[in-house]
Amino acid sequence: MSYEYLKFGKEEKDFIAKIEEISGQNIYSCYQCGKCSAGCVFSDKMDITVNQLIHLIQLGQKEKVLKANTHWVCSSCLTCSVRCPREIDVAALMEAVREYSLREDYEKVIISEISKEALDKLPNIALVSNFRKKTG
Amino acid sequence: MVQYSYFPGCNLKTNAKGFEETAIAVSKKLEAELVEMPSWNCCGTVHTLTSDNIMKRIAPIRVLSRSRKHVETLKESPNQVVTLCSMCNSTLKIVNNEVKKDQEILDKINYQLEEDEETYETDMEVKHFLEILRDIVGYEKISEEVVNPLKGLKVSPYYGCMLLHPEEAKIDDEEMPDVLESLVESLGADLVMSPLFKFCCGSYHIVDQEYIVSSQVEKIVEAAKRRGANALVVACPLCAYNIDQQQKAMAKNTVGKSPIPVFYFTQLMAIAMGEPVKINHFQDHFINPEPLLKELGLIGRKKAK
Amino acid sequence: MSKTKTKEENATPTVKIYIMGSMHEVPASLTIMKAMEYAGFKFKRGAGCRAGFCGACATLYRKAGDYRIYAALACQTQVEDGMVLTQLPFVPAPKGIYDVDSLQPTASSILKFYPEVARCLSCNACSKVCPQEIQVMDYVQYCLQGQIDKAAELSFDCVQCGLCAIRCPAEIPQYHVGMLARRLHGKYNMSTPETLIERVEEIENGVFEEGFKELKSLSKDDLKKRYIERDFVDQKKA
Repeated sequence: MSYEYLKFGKEEKDFIAKIEEISGQNIYSCYQCGKCSAGCVFSDKMDITVNQLIHLIQLGQKEKVLKANTHWVCSSCLTCSVRCPREIDVAALMEAVREYSLREDYEKVIISEISKEALDKLPNIALVSNFRKKTG
Repeated sequence: MVQYSYFPGCNLKTNAKGFEETAIAVSKKLEAELVEMPSWNCCGTVHTLTSDNIMKRIAPIRVLSRSRKHVETLKESPNQVVTLCSMCNSTLKIVNNEVKKDQEILDKINYQLEEDEETYETDMEVKHFLEILRDIVGYEKISEEVVNPLKGLKVSPYYGCMLLHPEEAKIDDEEMPDVLESLVESLGADLVMSPLFKFCCGSYHIVDQEYIVSSQVEKIVEAAKRRGANALVVACPLCAYNIDQQQKAMAKNTVGKSPIPVFYFTQLMAIAMGEPVKINHFQDHFINPEPLLKELGLIGRKKAK
Repeated sequence: MSKTKTKEENATPTVKIYIMGSMHEVPASLTIMKAMEYAGFKFKRGAGCRAGFCGACATLYRKAGDYRIYAALACQTQVEDGMVLTQLPFVPAPKGIYDVDSLQPTASSILKFYPEVARCLSCNACSKVCPQEIQVMDYVQYCLQGQIDKAAELSFDCVQCGLCAIRCPAEIPQYHVGMLARRLHGKYNMSTPETLIERVEEIENGVFEEGFKELKSLSKDDLKKRYIERDFVDQKKA
């Protein structure tokens, strides 16, 4: 058995504060019941589950949070938000992590790399919503 | 005849023309006419879940403000803007609710809209056309207008996420909805219940993570087919595109997959009410519903006198 | 005997303006463009027709005690006291490369070359900045909705100055988008005007060849003379 010692200093606290500010949620409301991950229809495609990501945010582990694909696989269907027993807007936390990355000048979808053929066939509702969520 | 200020949203003018044209046709028949706003902009979907991004809230508020002006020009119109697209519906409802609760956000947005003379006074309600059909028109009246009952069509309602989430925007119970079910039954079709009625289709991931959408759609369609459905009914142009187009893409790879057509609820209504077939724009569908409808004798048959 | 005016009374009224940060005192009656030349700037770029048509002289400015950013064409706008200004001789915005013949007048034709149109926030910053007072945001939205005819009509007065593109938070090159919409509209929605068909026929039948031959044979001085004496009266009809 091995242990990982986690640092919990100013940097970690700042990260938590920023996520709470963007999402408008209290991250410590979460008591890790896992209902969000159980009901999430994308759990099988996430490298760490939603409640695990929230746990990492609670610990201020910015790098691990941003490295996860969880918030990019989330499609804002809001199932987690309507089911959370602690009334946390879980999807807003996912959005906050996305926004945090995008505000650090990181575009998840690089528009110029989408092929002309794809642009020709994709409905504009898909482009509008995708760019709203995945470009800064 | 009541007139409603109708906000189409971008897709109703491009690849969901059949949704719009059938909706307008049946709305006239049911005396709850949808009249398009003269000038409108993107609803701003998907709604931002941030607490601090005012910029992303300007578009929906501008829509509400323009619709408010439009209402003045209509006959007997309540202060309501009606949408067909469930993503528009959800975005507009969420933001409308936010600004009704939070004067500070409204002031900030209005400050940006002042110069355009498009400030918003929170005096509008957002309604999905399904709500109008259920609460104002009533299923009884819909049944009365049915001249061509959809016998043999085994329809499975697929709500998607945006009609039922979040709390402020839902048009029905989020775990046990019945608006599409009742509508399908009032049109004379057979109802097929599927447990994956709100299993997200993958939504906008179609742009950059198609594998997500394709795996979701496979599950949604399989679940409906296993229970005997030969058609799906939806209210969202993005769900419709994803399910329709992905079935087509999968049919090429896997042998034996027989795709099922995807209908907008207004298309089913138009067929049942004997509207001309061409307003359905079936040519825009990836899985053409016409062979099935012909096989069941629902279209292409001379009307018996 | 009339009283001679003092030097002060005779002087033209002046205003103080700030061009790229440095103060210049210029006659109050001048346009921004002439004032800049008065102050010693020489235009190599950013000046074209000097008559409000070409859109080459887009200028951004603020006024004393006012937070707003104003935009104007330098050749069309008079200087004001306390103006802080800079000219934008060029707005960086790549054009889509397309063959109008192979497109359709639809939203996807626009999104194919300018997918960033889908990023529009409807903030209306573009309409506010437009020196031609075009409803820029509305025509961008019409493009997204596939209502190419309305987009073409609404963007018709655009002079391609690019101010909209520089103010857009979604980084859309609106003026190129409008141009594509007008090209699609012209190609697919409008009938070819009869006069154009006639003129092309005339050219193809060599009606103007004689005239061109004559012009080509003239010396530079004769050409200048002709140019000065030119008129636009249709010789045939006159």
